[in-house]
Amino acid sequence: MRGPAIDERYFDKLAQTVIDGQEEECLRIIHEGLNNGMDPLEAVEKGLAKGINKVGDDFAEEIVFLPELVMAADVMKAGMKILDEKIKAEGKERKSMGKIVIGTVKGDIHDIGKSVVAAVLQANGFDVIDLGMDVEPDAFIQTVVDNDADCLGMSTLLTLTLSVMGETIKKMGEKGLREKVKVIVGGCPVTQEFGDEVGADAVGFDSKDGLTKVSELLSI
Amino acid sequence: MKGFTGKLVGSLYPITEEECKQIHKSAVRVLEEGGMRCDDERAAKMFERAGCKIEQDGKLIKFSEKIIMEAFDKCPSNFKLHGRHDPELDINIGHDEVHFATVTGRYIEDFRTGERRQATRQDAIEGTRIADALENVHGLYKSVMWIYDEPKICNSQILVAEQMKNTNKTSTWVYNTGADHEIPDLIKIWGIAAGGAEALKERPHLIGHVIANPPRVVDVNYTSWLIGFCDAGIPVTVYSALMGGATGPATLAGMLVQIMAETLALVVQVQTYKPGHYLTFCSFNPSMDMRTGLWSFGNPEYGTVGTGIAAMARHYGVPCVGFCICDSCDTDQQTSYEKALKLYNYALSGIALSWDIGGMAGFNFVTWPEMVLENEIASFIGQYLKGIRVDEARMAVDEILEVGPLPGSYLNRRHTRDWYRKEFLIPELSNRDFFESWERGHTELQEKAKHKAAKILETQESPVKPEIQKEIDDYLDFVVKRDVG
Repeated sequence: MRGPAIDERYFDKLAQTVIDGQEEECLRIIHEGLNNGMDPLEAVEKGLAKGINKVGDDFAEEIVFLPELVMAADVMKAGMKILDEKIKAEGKERKSMGKIVIGTVKGDIHDIGKSVVAAVLQANGFDVIDLGMDVEPDAFIQTVVDNDADCLGMSTLLTLTLSVMGETIKKMGEKGLREKVKVIVGGCPVTQEFGDEVGADAVGFDSKDGLTKVSELLSI
Repeated sequence: MKGFTGKLVGSLYPITEEECKQIHKSAVRVLEEGGMRCDDERAAKMFERAGCKIEQDGKLIKFSEKIIMEAFDKCPSNFKLHGRHDPELDINIGHDEVHFATVTGRYIEDFRTGERRQATRQDAIEGTRIADALENVHGLYKSVMWIYDEPKICNSQILVAEQMKNTNKTSTWVYNTGADHEIPDLIKIWGIAAGGAEALKERPHLIGHVIANPPRVVDVNYTSWLIGFCDAGIPVTVYSALMGGATGPATLAGMLVQIMAETLALVVQVQTYKPGHYLTFCSFNPSMDMRTGLWSFGNPEYGTVGTGIAAMARHYGVPCVGFCICDSCDTDQQTSYEKALKLYNYALSGIALSWDIGGMAGFNFVTWPEMVLENEIASFIGQYLKGIRVDEARMAVDEILEVGPLPGSYLNRRHTRDWYRKEFLIPELSNRDFFESWERGHTELQEKAKHKAAKILETQESPVKPEIQKEIDDYLDFVVKRDVG
């Protein structure tokens, strides 16, 4: 049986799965497409990225809001996992706005705010490696190094765990990473004064502010 | 200190009694089937003692309805928070009386200079003095969230000490830094303020907060506070701090179910650790603003769910308290409408104590003129709560028959003189000038509030006995030497 035509309409279908938050359908289309010779880079640019950009634009216009954005980002992440493997296997490279490692610091299990920021960044073209919550300083640093990240984002909701941010930034300095890797911090107790005190490059006060500040840090 | 009472207190039922039963049943199902994750061994042991099902090596606790209702059987239906060394300042925490208390913020708008800055120790003192002077402020939260000109490690101790030295009104405490000595130090200071540890047990003057970590986690830090509060005889308020749409469902009924599930678990924990201990429910239920991901407090859903928690509290026979707070970042109309609507709804639903006076933008800033203005809002609400009292004297039929028809007037009548102060609110700050007079010259409301705040600070002295202030200072010296050197 002939496979589907891998054309603009096919990529639009893929984009729509991101817009609609349909992970299962997204993965089905990707596997089907790859089995029929779909170029993974095209699938990213014309499919997933197109979908997430639409969601990002609609979010900026307040046509959709965070639930749609976060679901779209989750679908994008699932799809990108498969496509990135294929791209690597074919010896190709994918363009990115910038690579950001993000997580909630050690001792803190709150991650909603951080996940929202991750989704907004992803919706705006950044590659986000989300380490989740309760992340050790060394885990942040190793992930930054392993992925050649441009930026580290740390979040906390608790006053008690603020010091972990300072500790992580200090260790990054000791490893000579601070020239290349920018640091943004955020969360309820994180003030501008605190950010300055620990040597962060920026403090994000909400998800949109985080996006603006990361874009400025990476000169986008 | 008599709170506001009246026909309308507790008259609001956002859910029927039948719906309360449905919410209860659903909350029980959540606890029976899903349980609470428990990150604390001490808490796990408490739940085991209560008869809960313990799974996953003590990490998952499941509850039966029987265990939950046995815990409620032990709960007192009301209690008193005591003024320190002043019974006039006692407040009843039950279902018939409404009280208002201050709320906190990290930043302060200095009303003398207009500058917005981080709060200092002096601000903590001034905020306490102003709250102490205001007649419709029945209790205090910490006047500022954090004192930026004092060491982090003993910040809570200094905050509490300054509050205890500057007012005898009732208080409350929510966990601050988690530093090792924080719990015993604060209990010691509260004890000194009460007149000793035994006096604190007999006449507790604050409510302590014990909060679940949503969704459905019993928190390590709050278990430490539970033990501290219960051992010291300090009543507790137990609640969820879920955020609708993020750590709780995006429906109001769903939020209420999860809030109840987490609250019921904490009721079991408290009543197992210390049977018969005073506790309340509490409203702290923001929803996520889906545009920014930030929590939103000023929204109507927060207020509505809060009144739902109050209805459930009445269903279970325990009191309810609550945080109000607003989203507005300025002393503007948004602050007024967000707060007045919610405070009024809370009062109608019988929430016994609302922390709201003087703070804005979540817990982000406070300003003393706003505290003064909201003292006035409280007086309006108190007046509304009275409703219309109907009796022979008030119906005034004889008076009506005597005075009318025109040209009769009531103005110079004994009946009017006897009753107008009792029946009509005479506001201190609100404008009632005729428009044209007002146009010719007036003092802005904010200016009136600033003037009053300034006057209070010039004249208000601490009502706390000097010997108590000294004992608190001596203990604080010890704390600072120990922690800072």
